[in-house]
Order: sequence, then structure tokens, then C-alpha cells
Amino acid sequence: MKRVVSLAVLVTIVLGMSLLLALSGQSFYPSENLRWLAIVYLNTTYNPYLPDFTVRSPESVTAIVWDYRGLDTLYETTVFYLAIIAGLALGRGVKRLNQKPTDESGLSPIVKTVTKITGPMILAVAASIGLHGHLTPGGGFQGGATAAVVPVVFIVVFSSFYLLWKGVSSQRMLTLRSAGLIGIGLTSISLFLAGLLLGLPSYVFQNIAKAGSPLSMPYDVHGALLSGTLWWFNLFEFLAVSSGFTLAFIILMTPEAEEKW
Amino acid sequence: MIEELLVYTGLGLIALGAFAQLVSGIGVNRFRNFYLRLHAATIGSIWGCVYPIAGAGLVALGYKELGPYSTFMAGAAFVTSFLVLILSPAGSHALARAAHKTRQALVEPCVHDALDPSMCVRGGGS
Repeated sequence: MKRVVSLAVLVTIVLGMSLLLALSGQSFYPSENLRWLAIVYLNTTYNPYLPDFTVRSPESVTAIVWDYRGLDTLYETTVFYLAIIAGLALGRGVKRLNQKPTDESGLSPIVKTVTKITGPMILAVAASIGLHGHLTPGGGFQGGATAAVVPVVFIVVFSSFYLLWKGVSSQRMLTLRSAGLIGIGLTSISLFLAGLLLGLPSYVFQNIAKAGSPLSMPYDVHGALLSGTLWWFNLFEFLAVSSGFTLAFIILMTPEAEEKW
Repeated sequence: MIEELLVYTGLGLIALGAFAQLVSGIGVNRFRNFYLRLHAATIGSIWGCVYPIAGAGLVALGYKELGPYSTFMAGAAFVTSFLVLILSPAGSHALARAAHKTRQALVEPCVHDALDPSMCVRGGGS
């Protein structure tokens, strides 16, 4: 029986691989004939010769996500915020243990030392993914999710209470998360407010000047590209997502105090 | 001259890595208990990953056709090999410690177990 099962697994793997090989030559290569919509995006995402249409970001994915269809992404962020709020609401009124972590809790000193070295490295990579989102693949959500790896690793390696004793409490994470969301909201209406003050026509979610509304976010600082609102959106999304995931992990991984009925 | 030296040193390290992966594969198949097999697997990640990646960095440093990108590639290779160097032993150490502490894997066959003699199963082995 065992031999039949292992033979069947082997045959399935071989057939699957050959199917993949046969298909990959046919349908997995992107076609050279682009649709006109894709051509419009690729031609305008960074094009100083079309100042009324460009986003001034060489990374077209971030440009689409936060500029061409920015309102959609705003609502996605809101949905994630509400999901975290729902998670908090499920665990409301639950008393959680809060003990002082000792040297004995957690894994051995070897693992702890290596974690202390690599933790800041993960944060640096996360910041690089998040804040370069308008130049290279990545962005606020991806960077924030990478940064949220650090609290998980620290909870596993040190102790469930380590973050709380270091001052990373769920209340503070909620405050940081709300600050990130408020920042996203303010960035999206900043040019609209500026237009109201200056008496110029401008839109909500406006980034670079368009025909008929001359206001434009500053898109570079001494030659370093900021791409207008994209950098700010990525920064606030990074804060919101990293603190939101940290909040969820703290709630999921801190043990509850025993309730006496 | 120095470029050739870098390239040949790098290629030597890559060849060493290939040999170490072979040794590690044989060890993982042939060793008779969990801890020995873990040791063989770690040979594959230190001798078989850290040295070849550092070797690839040396090759990139000595490869003139890459132009300014050679330092980028070499830097990335050295940082990666350093990360594997500190992370892989920590991971295998945590695995072995957890398996020994929870008594999930007995030391069998065993010569001497200083941490917990009751885990030591003399002779035997499968």
C-alpha cells in the first residue's frame, strides 16, 4: 500500500511538472500587444513632457494604487482598520495577564542575541520597502507587513509580555494606527484645502497639477523624487499597517487571566 | 591580477559549497538520530550556503563587465552570507533545544548525554 501511495505521489509530481513545462511556453508569457489602458498608464506614470497627466513616479503600480485609483485604496485601508476594530471588539472586557518577563522566559540566550541583532535589520528593510514604494516595487502595506514581523519574533523569542514591558501596549498601537489613518485622510484632502484657501480650483485626492487646477504637491526635494502625495501615503500607510498588525498579534498572543466564575 | 585572484577564490568557495551540500545530503540520509541529522543539515547551510554566497560576492567584485553594479552585488552577497551565518545556527540550536527539552527526540544511539542522561539510549538505533 505504502509503495502504491509513494508511486502515485511521484507520478503526480512528474505529470504536474511536465504539464507546467508544457503550459509555461504558451500562456504564461505576457503578450507584446498591450491594451490601450496599459499604454496610457505606462506613458504617463513618469513623463515630465506631459506635466498635466503624469504622476511623476517611475513605479507604475504605486502610481495606480495611490493616484489613479487612490480613493479605492483609501477604502481598502478603512476596511483593514475596521477588521482590526472588530478583532478588538471580540476580545473586549477580557483581562490579560501582565507578568514581568524574566531571563528564564523565552528561548536561549543564543537565539535572543541573534534576534536582537536581526530585529533592527528587519525594521530597516521594512522602512526601505515602505518609503521607496514610489521608486521601486513595494509600498506602505508591504513595508508595514514586513515591520510587523519584528513584534511576532520578539514575542516568540523573549516572552508574551516582553512587548508590553517595553511599552508597546495595544492602546499605544491603536493610537499610532489612528494617527496613520488620520494622516492618510489629511494627505488626501491637503490640496483641496489649499485650493479653498488660495481660491484656486482643486480636487480631493489631487496629486500633480491637472488641466484647470494648477495646484501640485511638491514632487521632489533637491532632485530626490517624492512623487507628491505618494510618499506621504506610503509613510502613513506604513505606520497604520505595522501598528495594526502589531495590535492584532499582541491581542492574539497575550494569554488571558483566568476568570473566576 | 587582483581581479583574477578574486574570481578564482570565489569559484573555489562555490566549488567547496557544492561539495559541502553533497556531504550534507549524504549525512542527512545516513545519520541515525535527529541531532546528528540536524548537524548534517547545518553543514549544508554554513559550508554550503555562507561560503558559496560569499564566493559569489568575490566573483562579482572581480568581474569587470558588471561595472558599478559589481559592488552592489558583492555587498548584497556579503550581507546575505552574514545573515545566514548568524541566523542558521540560531535556528538549528532552537530546534535541537526544543526537541531535547520536550523529550520529543531521544538520543539514540548514544555515547554520552551531559544535559539529561535519561534521554541517552545506548546502542540500538534504527
